[in-house]
Amino acid sequence: MERITMHPILGESPEGKCVEFTCDGKKLEGYEGEPIASALRVNGIMVHRYTAKRHEPRGVFCAIGRCTDCVMIVDGIPNVRTCITPLKAGMVVQTQYGVSAKEEAK
Amino acid sequence: MFDIQEALKNIGPYVEEADDDLLVCRCEEVTKGEIRRAIHSGLLTIEELRRFLRCGMGLCQGQTCGSLTRRLVAKELHVPVTDIEVATSRSPMRPASMKTCGLDEKGGE
Amino acid sequence: MKIEHKELIVIGAGPAGLSAAIEAASRGIQVTVYDENARPGGQLFKQIHKFFGSKEHHAKIRGFKIGDELLKEAHEKGVEVVLNATVMGMFAQKEITVMINDEVHHVKGDAILVATGASENMVNFRGWTLPGVIGAGAAQTMMNLHHIKPGERVLMLGTGNVGLVVSFQLLQAGCEVVALVDAAKNIGGYGVHAAKLARTGIPFYLSHTIKEAEGDDHVTGVTIAEVDDHFQFIEGTEKHFDVDTICVAVGLSPMAQLLKMDGVGMKDTRGGYVPDCDETGATSIPGIFAAGDVTGIEEASSAMIEGRMSGYAIAEYLGYMTKEEKDAKEEELDQSLDALRQGMFAPKNRGKEITKTEEDILISTNLLKHGFVADDEISRFPGFVHKAAIHPVIECTQNIPCNPCQSACHKGCISIGENMTSLPISVKESTCINCGMCVASCPGQAIFLVEEHEDEDYGLITMPYEFLPLPEVGDLGHALGRSGKALCEAEITQVRAPKSYDHTALVTMKVPYHYIDLARFYKKGDE
Repeated sequence: MERITMHPILGESPEGKCVEFTCDGKKLEGYEGEPIASALRVNGIMVHRYTAKRHEPRGVFCAIGRCTDCVMIVDGIPNVRTCITPLKAGMVVQTQYGVSAKEEAK
Repeated sequence: MFDIQEALKNIGPYVEEADDDLLVCRCEEVTKGEIRRAIHSGLLTIEELRRFLRCGMGLCQGQTCGSLTRRLVAKELHVPVTDIEVATSRSPMRPASMKTCGLDEKGGE
Repeated sequence: MKIEHKELIVIGAGPAGLSAAIEAASRGIQVTVYDENARPGGQLFKQIHKFFGSKEHHAKIRGFKIGDELLKEAHEKGVEVVLNATVMGMFAQKEITVMINDEVHHVKGDAILVATGASENMVNFRGWTLPGVIGAGAAQTMMNLHHIKPGERVLMLGTGNVGLVVSFQLLQAGCEVVALVDAAKNIGGYGVHAAKLARTGIPFYLSHTIKEAEGDDHVTGVTIAEVDDHFQFIEGTEKHFDVDTICVAVGLSPMAQLLKMDGVGMKDTRGGYVPDCDETGATSIPGIFAAGDVTGIEEASSAMIEGRMSGYAIAEYLGYMTKEEKDAKEEELDQSLDALRQGMFAPKNRGKEITKTEEDILISTNLLKHGFVADDEISRFPGFVHKAAIHPVIECTQNIPCNPCQSACHKGCISIGENMTSLPISVKESTCINCGMCVASCPGQAIFLVEEHEDEDYGLITMPYEFLPLPEVGDLGHALGRSGKALCEAEITQVRAPKSYDHTALVTMKVPYHYIDLARFYKKGDE
């Protein structure tokens, strides 16, 4: 998904400072301070986790930290709401399966 | 509040519906069918449903499904939505780690 | 355990909370505002459209600019705004717990104002948990705060003002909106908001809802179908769209859990489960107030007035203002609030079927079903006139509390009169000087300037245009009708975008005379 670079009302979008982070081991880039979820979306990642019972994919739903659907494992901590957690250089982001980083046997 | 005794008399048996496998509570993955079945087995309040099925008890604390569940209960009981008591609100309103909750600012006990 | 003490605690730095904080701080009260978000302003910073209302309601100013103004004022008045501060609980004796950087702070206030706003309602359909199904608020947050597109091709569920406004914002962000869908029989939001979508060619499907969101690990398509009077799907009416995003805008609910937790008296209303409070937001517990959407869903404009009212009431409660002073202020604000609660969409008219305007004109049924006033309906409204010389044609056909067009024109071409919900009249006798201010000031983008050259068989139509890229003079393309259907060839003859128009460009196109009453949008190219 693209970033909006020019907007008819908001004008030119502020250009962030590019930082590197990883998602499931893959090296990615995003803007420092933007929500982790935004950086993932720009890199084409929509699935943030698989649920515990039905193993269903989930991603961003409310984007303001209320629905908790977008949680992932960030720097080893599970259940981090990626839609409101700012991206930092070197962050290690992992898809969350249930509440762990490893896919459980179905 | 509606009359529970009356409601129990009129509720009738649980009849499966085509979309019973739809999720209502996204966090705890509770389906419409599970909630409907529980209602027909006599759990008529949101509180009871929450304790029995854990719907609305997940990370988001019912932010999304609260009103869906309330409407579903009202529909099954054939009463206005406003007759269904909303869930009790409890702290913490947003997800917080046990560590945070247990440790008050500046070394509190 | 350390307990901090504050004079006034405000929970939520949105329009209501900030407005209250400003008024309270102006009276000398020490105010601390907590907000769980990284940025203050609540939803104002996502609202990039021009506001309705009159001058006192910040009409024709864009939401995010109002947010800037409120923040600036709050800082000037010495209001302390603490961000990333999540109020987790509210307890007896006006005590709250606030989580800041993983630390829990206990804070007591002499008074507390709860201005926590609302949360989005949802509907569950097959596939509603798939990534790509998002709330309309999420779309707004992504586009207008984080500058990313929520998706390329979007279907919007819900035609209330949120659904309509967010759909327009999606277009502005460069996304494609394939359709607006609503289970209701009529479009719920302002007709003018719907019309600006319809004329770009987006179809509306009323009495329809989503049957299924399709896709394996994210949305790749959606099927909608018609519903009957009992909201049951009618077989054989299915329609499929390839989309990557489904936006859900099916209403808001007050977020009143903190008040309930605290034991404040609550009530069930049409506007949701809300605290039982008076006009100033005073709840059943002395010293605890509520303002804005948490007391019932309305607009940001009303939330700001409610917030100010609470600010005065709190000042009186804490002894910074006499009752007489407070009453006088309250009365003044009451009138302003009352003005916003008039017209067809007033809270008191919710659920009522309105067939005629205040002027006794039959309302456009096509507008309610398809999002645009039909060509054979438009001439019965007072904003529609014919005249050779340039003149405004105002396609504003519902009574809504809004009047910036009247004051935008210094030549008396537009008349609304005393009652701000009246339909604007295009005054034929006045002389339009083509300044364009009315077009740019209309929050509903419902004003066009028309110049009729019958002898030479052409007409010039000037329309508001808030998309990129802007057409350029000499561009050739097609004029679209109110329904978005291509009507005829059109040539761009003028493009104006001075600062005074505030990002609403005015684009003038030349069309054959026959189309002057029909052509309302422009699309470049052959299609």
